[in-house]
Amino acid sequence: MSAVDLPQGVAIDGVVPSRVADAATVDEVRDAVRATAAAGGSLIACGRGRHLDVGEAPARCDLLLRVTGLSRIREHHAADMTITVDAGCTLAAIDAALAAEGQWLGLDAPAPDDTTVGGFLATNLSGPLRASHGTARDLLLGLRWISAQGELVAAGGKVVKNVAGYDLHKAHVGALGTLGVLVEATFKVRPRPPHERALIVACADPRGAVAAALDARDAVEPAWLEAASGGVLGVEGPAAIAVGWLGIEPELDDAERRVRARLATVDGTSVVRALADAEAVALRRRLADFCLTPAAAMLRVATLPAALGDALASVSPAAAESSTARWTAHAANGVARVLADDASSVARLVADTRPRLERAGGSLVVERATPDVKHALSAHGGVFGDPGPGRELMRRLKDAFDPGRVLSPGRHVAGI
Amino acid sequence: MVGRENLVEKAESLMVYECDGYTLERAAPELVVLPRDPDQVARVIRILADAGVPFVPRGAGTGLSGGTLPVAAPVMVCTSRLQTIESVDVRNRRVVAQAGVVNLWISRRVQADGLLYAPDPSSQGACTIGGNVAENSGGPHTLKYGVTTNHVLGVELVLPSGEVVQLGGAVEDRPGYDLTGLVVGSEGTFGIVTRATLRLTRTPESYRTLLAVFDSVDAASEAVSGIIATGIVPAALEMMDQLILEAVESAFHAGLPTDAGAVLLVELDGAEAGLEPLAERVRGVCTRHGAREVRSAATDDERALLWKARKRAFGAVGRLAPNYCTQDGVVPRTRVPDIVRAIAATAARHRLRIGNVFHAGDGNIHPIILFDERDADEVRRVLDAGREILEACVALGGSVTGEHGIGVEKMAQMPLLFSPEDLLAMTRVRAVFDPEQRSNPHKIFPDAKVCVETRAPRRQAAM
Repeated sequence: MSAVDLPQGVAIDGVVPSRVADAATVDEVRDAVRATAAAGGSLIACGRGRHLDVGEAPARCDLLLRVTGLSRIREHHAADMTITVDAGCTLAAIDAALAAEGQWLGLDAPAPDDTTVGGFLATNLSGPLRASHGTARDLLLGLRWISAQGELVAAGGKVVKNVAGYDLHKAHVGALGTLGVLVEATFKVRPRPPHERALIVACADPRGAVAAALDARDAVEPAWLEAASGGVLGVEGPAAIAVGWLGIEPELDDAERRVRARLATVDGTSVVRALADAEAVALRRRLADFCLTPAAAMLRVATLPAALGDALASVSPAAAESSTARWTAHAANGVARVLADDASSVARLVADTRPRLERAGGSLVVERATPDVKHALSAHGGVFGDPGPGRELMRRLKDAFDPGRVLSPGRHVAGI
Repeated sequence: MVGRENLVEKAESLMVYECDGYTLERAAPELVVLPRDPDQVARVIRILADAGVPFVPRGAGTGLSGGTLPVAAPVMVCTSRLQTIESVDVRNRRVVAQAGVVNLWISRRVQADGLLYAPDPSSQGACTIGGNVAENSGGPHTLKYGVTTNHVLGVELVLPSGEVVQLGGAVEDRPGYDLTGLVVGSEGTFGIVTRATLRLTRTPESYRTLLAVFDSVDAASEAVSGIIATGIVPAALEMMDQLILEAVESAFHAGLPTDAGAVLLVELDGAEAGLEPLAERVRGVCTRHGAREVRSAATDDERALLWKARKRAFGAVGRLAPNYCTQDGVVPRTRVPDIVRAIAATAARHRLRIGNVFHAGDGNIHPIILFDERDADEVRRVLDAGREILEACVALGGSVTGEHGIGVEKMAQMPLLFSPEDLLAMTRVRAVFDPEQRSNPHKIFPDAKVCVETRAPRRQAAM
């Protein structure tokens, strides 16, 4: 492990680490965790630091451990359709390796050039493709991590089907590094689809867009299904949807034809344009990157898919009416992101709207925000809100993995 | 509390519960409780918690790894009477089912809405959602659609303390740790799941169901790798060898070639517009790998008959020998030819007949070892052969179970896959849910050997 000079301005939600170090091997990660734990300190692991603003502000940070040196593709058995990679490997590097064999991961997280596997898993990033391909938990076959005790621990395996032992690897997905420092992951991969196509459809308002998206899904199962404020999709007017399909040309022709026919019967919708291949991919990528738009806060709203239109209206009345509001939604999953520009109003907005969403089984998470916004939220359930009845079990799970609170203390739900 | 009619206490009645689909070890519980609703389950567990009594959860008892064998746990709590599908939400594609709901009931219930519940274990006509959640069950179509864990959004879990917790739910992206993901596949060691919120999947518009006939298992398994290599992921890709074909054909008269070395059952699904070009490529790969014939199911009935033959193969094998034992292992997909050869060598070495019917596309093998329980030496050879096949799977980079679970059957093999640190991490997580280890004790993890009554196995019930 090599200590590095504290780079100017390195801070996690305003918390400046006492030290920054780079680890290039699993042994170096292990030694860093052991030394930190022995000294009663705390450690936050990161890749390129692109997603360190997700989660609560850490309670403290003695060491920021960068694992970007751990960046190899360990095994890619193309014919087995699995890949094993170091946690510091970027998603773009993985995609390049897979593309050479006509494959892909099928997970379109934002900023793949700047997102490592560790960061991707720790923050549970996903993109439009989750409508058909699922999220990280669905494709993650196995994981290795350094425990808070400084041991190398593994769960799962390297084959596509495996029920030996508990799925501990799933617990790490979205755990923000609070259960271990991730060092290696194995994923199931898929054939890279030969073609991609998308249809952009203007809609009257967010409610209409969400409904039209689900109508389009009833016509033909899409690969991705997004609703968004008009501007995000280059459409004049308050809202639009983008429906995407993957496959061979005959099925894409068929899908487009049937969705056009279906939407022709839906009032208030009009097809604006069709995009093929590179253009469709670029649009999907842009939608995936929306969550990184600089703002005072990026809100993530989750409801049942059919209830998302109402939720969008309640979270941001502006989003419902103003053509300047900016939001996107994974319409098939019931997950929307709403951009908030005014830092001073975020806490009140959350306090006003979160309880109603939570009562209906949904959530409102402030996915990314400036440190002052996060601070203001601390009196209103924090960035996450209520994790639900599993709260006590989550605390016990943290205690089981990291009783000394060495790893990313304070960044997760319920003070974990 | 649950009423006498919901208890089983007589010795002769308890014998029904002394094993599940894994019959090589048996132990009857002292008492079986059959609660009628989730609330009764919680009340029963609270009483057991107050008394400090260990218990075994059980669904329909179709498990194949002895997961419901009572080991130092006198009380069995069966969820098989929790049979209500509580809600169906077509627009959002969700269903809430109690634990005793049979897997197939869900797909039947939503069929008219153009939806289905994707995980389809061969025992889907009998196995319950509670058992599926406990085992993270698979099935032929999981090649494309994923296993149980990919379709469970939330569970109601009765902790061994009697406390009831709702984990996850109908809405995605709930903040906090993925406890639902931990509970699925925990084999009943975290408590008893009484309800589950499941994701429904759109019924494919169309199918191409192909039967490719090969002269040898080798050629068929090379064709499996060939199909995967084309970049096509079929909905299902199954293999049956000659021994299985004979048993299945005499039972179901599905028109299967009993003189073939092996057949592949390949199913493609999706929009009709895209299917024929893919089917043509699959036919081409099979022919290039020596298929002497590739048939297509021409009607829905023909398709149904092929699947009936495949899914009931285990039962049909009962015609071939007094007893049989189904193994479950996984290898990387490209190693299917290697493991099939290893299985043949094992069979020869131990003078046993072993049939193969398995999820070839996933590399998930199911050798079926035939034997006669009255031959003690043969029983010993069956156990040895099963162990050697699993060791061969691990040596090829695979796993000792793809969908049946560890149960009691494979506890001894866990150290082949996991280090002491890995196993310690798992037992610590178990303690989060069940600190006293009262829910399904002595399963999954190799521990101090607890004495179980091991009797000569009897004929296995057809699944």
